[in-house]
Amino acid sequence: MTQDVKTKATFPSVEWFNAIREIVNDDAGYKHIGTCDATVGIKIPDLEKYYRLTFEAFEVSDVSEATETEAENTDFWLEMPYIKWKEMIENIEANGKADLHHTLNTLDIEDPEDLARSNDGYRRDAFYRFNQTFQYFFDTSARIDTTFQ
Amino acid sequence: MSDTASLQVPPDLAEVAEEKGIPLDLVRRGLALGFPADAIKGQLAMPGVTAEAAEQFIAAQEALRGPGGEISVPADLLEIAQKHDWPESLVKRALALGAAPDFVARQIEAGIKADQAERFIAQQEAARSGGLAQTLDLSWMKVPTEWGIRVRPGKRGLTVEMLNVSTYADIPDHWPYQTEMPRGAYPMKGVAPMGYSIYEKAELWSDNSADLYEEAIQRRWRPATDIPWASIEPLPDEIERAMGQLCTHLCERGLLAGDIVGRWLPEMSYGYHEVKLYLSAAAFDYARQFEVFRKRAMCNGGGLGLQSPGYFHRAIIDARAWTEASAVLHIFSASQLMGLYQIGAYVAHNEAEALIFSLGMQDLGRQLAYGVQHLRYFLSKKIDRRAEVHNYLNKAEAVFAFDDEKDVPLREALIILLGGGTSSDQVADGMAKLEYFKARWIRDYLSRLAAAGFPERREKLHPSLKKYVEEPAEAAAA
Repeated sequence: MTQDVKTKATFPSVEWFNAIREIVNDDAGYKHIGTCDATVGIKIPDLEKYYRLTFEAFEVSDVSEATETEAENTDFWLEMPYIKWKEMIENIEANGKADLHHTLNTLDIEDPEDLARSNDGYRRDAFYRFNQTFQYFFDTSARIDTTFQ
Repeated sequence: MSDTASLQVPPDLAEVAEEKGIPLDLVRRGLALGFPADAIKGQLAMPGVTAEAAEQFIAAQEALRGPGGEISVPADLLEIAQKHDWPESLVKRALALGAAPDFVARQIEAGIKADQAERFIAQQEAARSGGLAQTLDLSWMKVPTEWGIRVRPGKRGLTVEMLNVSTYADIPDHWPYQTEMPRGAYPMKGVAPMGYSIYEKAELWSDNSADLYEEAIQRRWRPATDIPWASIEPLPDEIERAMGQLCTHLCERGLLAGDIVGRWLPEMSYGYHEVKLYLSAAAFDYARQFEVFRKRAMCNGGGLGLQSPGYFHRAIIDARAWTEASAVLHIFSASQLMGLYQIGAYVAHNEAEALIFSLGMQDLGRQLAYGVQHLRYFLSKKIDRRAEVHNYLNKAEAVFAFDDEKDVPLREALIILLGGGTSSDQVADGMAKLEYFKARWIRDYLSRLAAAGFPERREKLHPSLKKYVEEPAEAAAA
C-alpha cells in the first residue's frame, strides 16, 4: 500500500503558491474548467506580504513575490488579514475543499470592502468570470502539507 | 491471366492493396479492365473493402466484357433500359465505368432520365481520363480574396481572435454589404439584402467579443450532470418557498434576456461576426439560466412561485437601439442580477446551490464584460451621444425602481432567505442584509460604468438608488 507524499510548504511564500501551481498545471480537472486569463494579486497587509499569480490559458504560468503596488497592478487582488487567510486554508485542508462558508465567493460577499478588489470595475469582474478556476486553485492547497509561519 | 501478370502495379497502389490485404493479382485484373490506378486506389482505400468483395466486383466486370473488351449488357438490364428510353450505348458506358448491372437497373427504374445520366457519366469519364477540370467552370478559384493564410493554434488552441490576421483583421467602421457574406469573402452580385439594420461598428462592437465567445465555449457547464443535485436536502417550507420565488424570478430574467438578444442578432450585419458569435453563446447562457433555476425550483419538494410584475422586463425589451438594450441588459440589469446571485451564493444551503450561483456568476461576468466594453467603444466613437446614454439609464433605473417596489414577493423571498426564516428577528436581519446587498450591486454598477468611461453617471443616478451610494467624502471618513 502506497501513500501519497505531500509537498510541504509554508504559507505565505512563493514556494507555497508554486507547489499548488505545479499540481494544477498537471491536473486534467483544472484544464477541464476552461481557459483563464487573468493576473491576480495576493495581499496579506498585516504581514506586508504580496504576490502576483498569472493565470494564462490552461495553466498558471507564473507566481512571484511582489511589492504592494505590483500586487495592485493586476486585474484584481485578493486581500485579507493573515488570520483570515489561515482560516480559509485550514478549512480547505480539513474538508478537502472550501466549505460553503469559506469559498472565495462567500468571503468576498461577507467583506464590506470585498475580498477581491481592483482599481477598475471591468477588470475586477475577472474574479466572477473565472471564479471556479480560482476556487480550484486554492482548493488544491488541500493536496499539499501547509505549515504556517 | 498471362496478360495481367505483366502489368505493373504503381508502388502507392501496391501499398494500399497490401494494407487492405488485397492480392496484387486482383489489382492487375482491375488495371486490365481499364480502371485507372488512382481510381482503384481510391476504391481500395474506402472503409470496409475486403479481398472477397473486390474479387466479386472484378469477376462481375470481367463477365460483362467479351474477349476484345467489348461490354455486353445483360438481357434483363437491356430490357429495363429500352423500356425507359435509355440507349444501350449509354448503359454500356455506365457499366464500363464499373457500375454493377443491378445498380444501373435501379437507377433507371428510379426515374433517372437518360440525359441526366449522360451528363453524369460524361463527367466520370472525363475524370477518369484526367480531363475533369475541363468540365468545371473554376472561375470562383480566381476570386480576389486573400489566399495562403496559415493560422497555427496557440496556447488556447485555434481561437476566433487568432483568425484576425492580415486583411482578415480589417474590421471596417462601416460594413458596406447588406447580405450574409462573411467578412473576408468576396461579394456576389445580385444577392438580395438580408434586412439588417446595424452596419456601424460603433453600434455593437466590443474589443473582447471574440475572447468572450471562446471563454463561453470553453467554460460551458451542464446543469443536468455538473450540479450535485443529491446534496439538496429538505428545507423548512418558508425557505423552500422563498427559494422557489427567487428561482421563478431568475427563470423569467433568463428567458427575457434570450428574447432580447435573439431579437437583435438578426439586426447585426455580418461584418462583425465576433459580436454575433459571442451573443449567440450568451443566448445559450441565458437558456441555461432558465434551465438551472427551473431545475432548482422543482427538485426539492417545492415548485415555482408568483410571476414578476414585469415593468422592468418591458423597459429592456422596448429599447430602440442595441446600445440602449446592451447598456440596460448587460450593465444595469446584469449588475443587479449579480447582486441576486451573490445573495444566492451567500444563503446557499448546500453544495448544489453554491455551485449553481457561482457558475451563474461566471456566465454573468462575461455579459458584464461585453456590456462594459461595448459602451466604452460606443462612447469613444460617439462623443456627442453621452446624454443619450444617460437617458437610456434614466429610463431603466426609474422603471426598475418602480418594479422593485411592486415586486413584493421577490423582496420578501430575499428577506426570508437572508434572515433564515420568518420570525421577527430573522425578518429584521434579512431586511438589513438586503440593504447591504443592494448597496453592493449599486456600487459595482457605478464602478462598471466608470470603467466604461461613464463615471459621471454617479451624479445622475436615480434617487431610489443613489441613497445607497456612499459619497467619496463619507467613504474616505469610513
